[in-house]
Amino acid sequence: MTIALPKLTPAQRAVFDAPLQHKLWLEGIAGSGKTSNGIARMLHLLQQGVPAESILLFVPQRSLAQPYREALRGYPGYGGGQLAVHTIGSLSRDMVETFWFLIAERAGFAHPQDLPNFLSLEMVQYFMSRAIETLVAQRDYFKSVRIDRARLYSQIVDNMNKAAMVGFPISEIGTRLQTALGGGVEQAHIYADAQACAMAFRQYCLRRNLLDFSLCIELFSQHVLALPVARDNLRRRFQHLIADNVEEDNPAAHRFLMSLLPNCKSALLICDHDAGFRSFLGADPESADRLRQACDNQVALEGSFVMSEPIAALGAHLSAPLVGEAAAAETDFRTALIAEAHRYHPQMIEWVVDEIGKLVFEKGIKPQEIAVLAPFMSDSLRFSLFESLRRRGLSARSHRPSRALRDEPAARTLLTLARLAHPGWGAVPVQFDLAFALTQTIDGLDLVRAKLLCDVLYRDDGLHPFSGITNTSMQDRITFDIGKRYDQLRDWIATYSQGEPIAALDIFFRRLYSEVLARRGFGFHADVNAGNISRNLVDSARGFRWALDFLRHYDDDIDLARDYVQMVERGLIANFYLRDWIEEAEDSIYIAPAYTFLLSNRAVDVQFWLNISSEGWSSRLFQPLTHPYVLSRGWQTGAVWGEADEQELERQTLRRLTLALTRRCRQAVYLGYSELGESGYESRGLLLETLYTALRRIHTGTAADAKPPPQTPPRRSVSTRPI
Amino acid sequence: MNLPATFVFSAKNLQSYADCPRRFQLRYADRWRPPTMTAAETQGELEYEKRLRQGARLHQLAKLSQQGIPHDLLKAAIQDDKVALWFDELLSSGLHDLPGTRLPEKRLQTSLNGRQLMAKVDLLAFEPGGELVIVDWKTGNYVPDRESLRQRWQTIVYLYVAAKAGAHLVGAPLPAERVRLEYVYLARGGQRVSFAYSPAQMRDDEALLSGLLNEIQNASDFPLTSESRHCRFCAYRVHCERGEAGSLHQVDFDELDEGDDAELDFEQIGEYAF
Repeated sequence: MTIALPKLTPAQRAVFDAPLQHKLWLEGIAGSGKTSNGIARMLHLLQQGVPAESILLFVPQRSLAQPYREALRGYPGYGGGQLAVHTIGSLSRDMVETFWFLIAERAGFAHPQDLPNFLSLEMVQYFMSRAIETLVAQRDYFKSVRIDRARLYSQIVDNMNKAAMVGFPISEIGTRLQTALGGGVEQAHIYADAQACAMAFRQYCLRRNLLDFSLCIELFSQHVLALPVARDNLRRRFQHLIADNVEEDNPAAHRFLMSLLPNCKSALLICDHDAGFRSFLGADPESADRLRQACDNQVALEGSFVMSEPIAALGAHLSAPLVGEAAAAETDFRTALIAEAHRYHPQMIEWVVDEIGKLVFEKGIKPQEIAVLAPFMSDSLRFSLFESLRRRGLSARSHRPSRALRDEPAARTLLTLARLAHPGWGAVPVQFDLAFALTQTIDGLDLVRAKLLCDVLYRDDGLHPFSGITNTSMQDRITFDIGKRYDQLRDWIATYSQGEPIAALDIFFRRLYSEVLARRGFGFHADVNAGNISRNLVDSARGFRWALDFLRHYDDDIDLARDYVQMVERGLIANFYLRDWIEEAEDSIYIAPAYTFLLSNRAVDVQFWLNISSEGWSSRLFQPLTHPYVLSRGWQTGAVWGEADEQELERQTLRRLTLALTRRCRQAVYLGYSELGESGYESRGLLLETLYTALRRIHTGTAADAKPPPQTPPRRSVSTRPI
Repeated sequence: MNLPATFVFSAKNLQSYADCPRRFQLRYADRWRPPTMTAAETQGELEYEKRLRQGARLHQLAKLSQQGIPHDLLKAAIQDDKVALWFDELLSSGLHDLPGTRLPEKRLQTSLNGRQLMAKVDLLAFEPGGELVIVDWKTGNYVPDRESLRQRWQTIVYLYVAAKAGAHLVGAPLPAERVRLEYVYLARGGQRVSFAYSPAQMRDDEALLSGLLNEIQNASDFPLTSESRHCRFCAYRVHCERGEAGSLHQVDFDELDEGDDAELDFEQIGEYAF
């Protein structure tokens, strides 16, 4: 069978035709055809009779494997086993689970004869709080840090993950941060506190067979790979390797690939130039570069299948001055750059939506060929865009995985009703929350009438029967029909509250859903989204219960249901849910944070860059307990991170970002600018300055003039962005 | 039928369509996953869940045992008597006469009518150039009659996909007559129900599968089943107003049409932050 492939360039052809036993390194810019080449190579292997399950497709995150999966699905000759798709996380878990009994004791677990419990990210947050909260309170840890607990804990987790990925002991975290960042006595205390908490959490996990991501990576790297039987298992399973976007992966992944390469029958490692966007998740392009030397052949793809000439020039003009180079491109990029200044942020949004309307309705650009990007996508910005687009008859989709479950109306409703049904928790809902829940629960009930119901019938921490309303005009206004359904809900909760409360909160949710909310006349009936959100909440609560069930072997009992609701409302769990990554309609405008767009690995015709004066385009998030570079593999022991490093980092970050975005754009970039930003303040970030510089140079014809590296910009002295 | 581009047909979703086309539509086209109670009462729901987890744990142990982990270590980790009993049964009676090369929890895939069809099997046992045996561990108490089992989509899909896609495993062409399916009922003393395969049966199965895939792809109407027994444990029972939950003693745990119960995993580490 022959494979129908797109026309390959000579360089791509060389990779495609390379003998099967070759180990190839393929590099190039985004849009140069590397992944297409990887797919062609994968199909070529299958065509040569290589079993699919002997091919390991290794990616930094699962979404990057999607083009391969789709190609495989469309390949008529595909039959047999399944292509093995792994990230370092999934592979580590798989191997640790398999070889657990051979490694648990020497790894220091207190119960090596019991099975392990792998923690989801939300459960890590929860157990972190259980492990260290007493310590934090007793010793007054982090007293000078003014960020919420969820963010604080997530930075401790982040430190532990980085230690595991880079390969240094978690006991060195505090010293590394202190030596490199200094910051006086108070800051030294903060690093010491972070160190103590990391050690406490690790001990907590070892005593209870709990495995977070960092511990799993550590076990895989240090213990599983040391077992001959495990190495043999990997050798037998994965005889052919395709690793894409190795620059976005971390040193632990690179170490694993290095160990696998000598035994592979064939390998193709693909690396993107000027990338490594996931640095705060451990991405390390320099570490990835070691793999290049381990390959037999190195191939570089030149050029781009994506960018028009003006877009390529725009990328060159924006990136070059940031590293003190002259832009090589002579082309005037202004034909591909559309901008309009506004005073207020809402005006900018309206302009963006107007321009999108023109593109779609007048110029025939398909909605899915438009991406609206910002450094951060706040709820209000996302909502404004969605609503304005909807009013113009345009649909949009968002790809923002970190939406909190508790912010979803269906989940809020279930949590509010849970509190109402469990007066023993001492956490009855406030009136507004209950009125909101009633609007979601009772079909046809608006907020005004829900408020009226609550005003009259919500007292003494409970709901009273509809017959408690004796005022005829109010009865008529609310209607007896709504009153009847209100009574159904109220009776269900009253009956439940009088009985023994259910320890399994997920089953409380399921019963409430099945016996009331999903019935005809109630708000969740035939509502797919409400059903799915409810299911997500149920799954989250069930995962919580199962993890604590497991813990009962080792710890005292706790009030599961109350603890769960508290944790959700404090933002410690149920903050994100993987299933919500299922994308909405494909033929719609894509709205996302810029980095999310980059990692979706796709190109579009037109990009809108919003809030271009924001410092978020180049600055790091404010993270007082961690640091992606100081805790990276390349950091020199004893070196000090200073203001100059931070500013250099900003320039490099923005350079990579502008290059990466333009390399994923075919026709035009629209710049959304407002003097007053989303929060009502003026800002003047590095992107805005860089754009001015590029425009000035092209206007005065000095584009090709070599310039000295930019001096420290006079715009501000503090380079991190508090959040 | 508006199925997702990446949709793969399986025994589970074909059985779902066969039981109730509406259920198939709501689950796979609309991707609706309502958290409906399976049992009528809380205690029943907890018992049901416990039983499902016991089944899952048995499958996990079976997989580890086939991957070479010493059996005494696995047995020491079992804290549930029922699982311990099943696992003993599996070790003592389920494996001795199977071919030597073992691949636990394998997913085999093939294409039919331009659509992908897959079988996720508990264990594949084979000898290079020899026989290919599919093993499916059953933990239910009820052993259906042979003819009912033969007609189940699981039997049809497993045998057909293995015969069509298993050649590369045995390293040679794989005639249908060298494929066999073994259901092993661990709660019934390891009782086996075995199905041999043949070229004629494979042709019949292909015609049957092909017809069903075409029917689903071309369907515009997905009627609700007229057999209310299929509604007793269905997640859409409330939506379709098809009565209350069934009694747990009616559950055949080997034939449950469970929704996807994927849990969060480490994949999030790399994905949530954006």
